[in-house]
Amino acid sequence: MSTSPTLLSHAEIEEQLGAYALDAVDPETAAVIEAHLDECVRCAAEVSQHHEVAGLLANSGGVPPADLWDGIARRLGGTSDESWDRLAARLDVPTDRESASAAPDGVSSDGRVPQPGSPTAPAADVVPIGAARRRPRLVAAGAGLVAAAAAVIALVLGLQVHHLDGQVNAMQATQNLSTAERAAIAAPGTTRVPLSVPGAHGQGSTPATIVLNSAGTGFVINDADDGLARLPADRTYQLWGVVGSKVISLGLLGSRPGIVPFSVAGSHGVSAFAITDEVAGGVVTSSNQPVAEGKVQV
Amino acid sequence: MDVEQASDANLVVAVGRWYEPALAEVYRRHGGAVHALALRILRSDPPAEEVTQEVFLDLWRHPEKFDAQRGTLRSFLLARTHGKSVDVVRSEESRRRREERTTRETATAAYDIDREVWDMAVAEQVKDALGALPDELRQPIELAYFGGRTYQEVAVLLDEPEGTVKSRIRSGLGRLRIHLIERGVEPAGAGL
Repeated sequence: MSTSPTLLSHAEIEEQLGAYALDAVDPETAAVIEAHLDECVRCAAEVSQHHEVAGLLANSGGVPPADLWDGIARRLGGTSDESWDRLAARLDVPTDRESASAAPDGVSSDGRVPQPGSPTAPAADVVPIGAARRRPRLVAAGAGLVAAAAAVIALVLGLQVHHLDGQVNAMQATQNLSTAERAAIAAPGTTRVPLSVPGAHGQGSTPATIVLNSAGTGFVINDADDGLARLPADRTYQLWGVVGSKVISLGLLGSRPGIVPFSVAGSHGVSAFAITDEVAGGVVTSSNQPVAEGKVQV
Repeated sequence: MDVEQASDANLVVAVGRWYEPALAEVYRRHGGAVHALALRILRSDPPAEEVTQEVFLDLWRHPEKFDAQRGTLRSFLLARTHGKSVDVVRSEESRRRREERTTRETATAAYDIDREVWDMAVAEQVKDALGALPDELRQPIELAYFGGRTYQEVAVLLDEPEGTVKSRIRSGLGRLRIHLIERGVEPAGAGL
């Protein structure tokens, strides 16, 4: 094959779906196919079918080794710090090793907020959660929010699975979401900011919600059903906060956000949030209209 | 929550709430299949056990990666198992594989080992459905899936063009699905 994997056409990708499902393509090609599957429902469905067939080939069942479970169980536990890390790991949190070079104003080239002390870290206001989550004080202060966020995540997950199974009707789903939101609101000092579509003229659509606690740790929660639509791979959602007279970048949310953490430190309150649709990598200042926005009610 | 009565999808929801008994139940239901597949590909137990542990720890850490719309939990776990096992095979045996690729004779012997492994296997209907495939469709699937080989390696082993092998794996899986359905085995998975 002389063709570069990055230049594969739809037909060429389609032809490799069987081999891909059996892990029989090289890693570079697999990465290209995976990116394609995020955008192509038809190909994703075909891979699912191949996986099901392959699963049947492997399906010898049998009793799992009992002592093996003990080994797994030993590795599940953790301290509260680890619990936070585990929670953060489930969210879209940058790791310590990720580069913080390139783009200014709080946005690194890989689409994450930068690490503390990096040359591109903004002077104030925005603190990367990747660093913040390792501060014991913040972990303690954010414990209520963590619990609330965990409830939200669990319920969002639950919603997704139930929704996909077709086992829960819309009424129940709404009730579940309300429960999750109530849990988030109930955490001490937590603010909930619904973001609505500008110009929707009171249609009541809130594709995303900001949950922010008094320590400045927050999450963007994209609604599982009516949330921000998935973007092409070369686009990303970007979160902005209005602080005083400034509009600052609070980080990139990716092309298909679920629940994304961010952090706003310092005494300056954020008076409003907005989300824009930008090129992957983000921008320093946006000239695009927000796709969702909301004011913080004092 | 009565984990024994819960559906796989609901167990994953409970795993998302850090409910350990739910993960234990997932392990009870699918741990045998996961371990058996890892063992079949890796052929020795310390690495197969390690892969099994990683598969369940991954589910614990990232239950959101399971998408019930895309198929069953078992096929999801087995696909992860296969990927991890193949990674181990390719990292440990890359040199041996390169040597194998140079001689057709060695390749044939390796294929026979795969046959033996497969002969130890599974449900009669699945075996029957696979047996109903013409050799040229069946062999690439077996070599890739149980042998952990790339399609390029399979092409060398079978002395066929790479493009032919790619399309045969794909059409072979499609045909296999039809054979399974004809035999009353209904693979899950999103419809096209």
